[in-house]
Amino acid sequence: MGWQIIWTVLKKELLDLFRDRKAWIGTFLVPLVIIPFVFFLLGNSYSNVEKEAREYVPLAIHGSSPLIDMLAKNPGVRLIESADPEQALQAGQLRAIITIPERFDEEIKAGNTAKLLVAFDSTNTKSVYARDLIKQTVEAYSKEIVAKRLQQAGMSEAAIQPIAADFQNVATEERKSGGMLAGFIPLMLVVSLASGGIAAANDLVAGEKERGTMESLLTAPIAANHILTAKLVAVMMMSMLSAIASLISVSLVFSMGPLGGGDNAAFSFAFLSPATLLVLIVVILLMAATFAGLELMLSTIAKSFKEGQTYMSAVIFLAMVPSYMLMPQSPVDIAEHYYVLPVFNGVALCKEVFYGKVDPLHALLGIGSSLVYVAITIAFASRLFRREGAGLKN
Amino acid sequence: MIEVKGASKQFGTVTAVRDLTFRVEEGEVYGLLGENGAGKTTTMRMMATILTPTAGDIEISGFSVREQPLEVRRRIGILFGGEVGLYSRLTARENIAYFGNLYGLTSSRVQERIDNLSRMLDMEAFIDRRVGAFSRGMKQKVAIARTLVHDPDVILLDEPTTGLDVTAATIFRRMVTRLQEEGKTILFSSHNMGEISKLCKRIALMHKGKLRFSGDLAALRKQYGTDDLDDIFMAVVEGGEL
Repeated sequence: MGWQIIWTVLKKELLDLFRDRKAWIGTFLVPLVIIPFVFFLLGNSYSNVEKEAREYVPLAIHGSSPLIDMLAKNPGVRLIESADPEQALQAGQLRAIITIPERFDEEIKAGNTAKLLVAFDSTNTKSVYARDLIKQTVEAYSKEIVAKRLQQAGMSEAAIQPIAADFQNVATEERKSGGMLAGFIPLMLVVSLASGGIAAANDLVAGEKERGTMESLLTAPIAANHILTAKLVAVMMMSMLSAIASLISVSLVFSMGPLGGGDNAAFSFAFLSPATLLVLIVVILLMAATFAGLELMLSTIAKSFKEGQTYMSAVIFLAMVPSYMLMPQSPVDIAEHYYVLPVFNGVALCKEVFYGKVDPLHALLGIGSSLVYVAITIAFASRLFRREGAGLKN
Repeated sequence: MIEVKGASKQFGTVTAVRDLTFRVEEGEVYGLLGENGAGKTTTMRMMATILTPTAGDIEISGFSVREQPLEVRRRIGILFGGEVGLYSRLTARENIAYFGNLYGLTSSRVQERIDNLSRMLDMEAFIDRRVGAFSRGMKQKVAIARTLVHDPDVILLDEPTTGLDVTAATIFRRMVTRLQEEGKTILFSSHNMGEISKLCKRIALMHKGKLRFSGDLAALRKQYGTDDLDDIFMAVVEGGEL
């Protein structure tokens, strides 16, 4: 009978939520539309700036040297005559001003160090690109001169390069891909688990109270705990749908978007093994249950839908703090106690999963402590929900 | 049958209902009269087991609201006035069926009851439409059907005509009479003496949480020597105990 009641309430809640535009926007619009949109916008604007910085590099030159001819050979470089080059640099019309002192080439020929003055604007990304380009050309030119000087002295290049260090990256392609995701996905996952259920949780208790439907529901011959269980499952489902939507959305962004390229390894989920996948699913389930319990608790305390919304912002905060704190850390650097702290434990385990190596002790600590937090949250939510008058508007 | 036995309800330092005692016989339409804040809704909520009396008890068809709340809930149907408490994104049929299922009715029985109630309340034209856009009167019909879906013996109507226009209120009163003919026990609360007098022979009059009168309405008229019910109400309220 209990299961039948839970199923009846759950079916109704899902039908009701399915028809609620607010719930869908909260659950899917943010992860599926807004996140990719922001990433594409961000990625595109970065690549546009980079493209423009490469394609057109206007420089002003005072003085002359063969270095200038070498610089002018770089694609995109234009040598511009300007009446007021400092002003033009400030205004962004010039990317850099190169001042070559008199006797520059003579100093080089004499075997001395010749000084070169380059003015640039560090607040302008394109000017910084021009500085890098000038630096590379100066280094290349310097190398040529050094080679000549060494030849004249009867020495080889090895004389000034006694050690040739070869750095090898031991991270596998999977781990590189996972490492990139381990920084970002736990944040996305936890925040969407927390935010995905908010609209549903708020509607299912505070909303029902406000509309007077909760009072009618409580007059039916059913246990309050059965109602709460169904509502908990409904909120968890919305949370998890939102988390799945986020995962799909982030995967698409990384595999197709402009941020996915560059030095990063090709995107794939190859770092997931059946065991780590299982840990990930259990972590998602437990975090969804914790957030759902917490949100229903706040929704029960709230006297109106609006009051509920205010309380719910605290849940997002609770999700974001651990995610941001652990975001830059590698799983090997995360201290043991984080695996038993609420929300931190989920974030830390997610990071291990995305690094492709889950420590069994950490999994045990994280899942065990999460189970305790789920039990505590649900017990509190149930107590509040069964409290006399909890379902009444006034 | 409803038997209120010295029921009191206290919220912190505020006593909403104090030592209330009256009895509604089986098949009777009984009026619960009082101004806003008199304690009528709190009394109804105690009968519906949403609130537990701080002292005393209430029995519905012989079951105690304290000891056997689930048995009580199976036997009552409660309708609140004002906000009728419907799921606006569900259709009228879905709203009624949801409660039918919660009362443990089989699917075929639920559909049968919805068809009957839909005919009785003239809801066939909008039974499969979502209730969000319904008028107050249409919503009230759906709420009545939801209250009656499990065919309860005892019906609690808390200010049920609030917000209804004259036509809808009249239709509602006719329905109450019809339910009485079917043998239902009905407690009808209102702050409108005129409305109560159209439906009930016996009433309980509450003021500031206390019972000021319970008994026969005709006897009350005779005692005060007037038919003006508002005058009688004021005399009872201002005059204290009778």
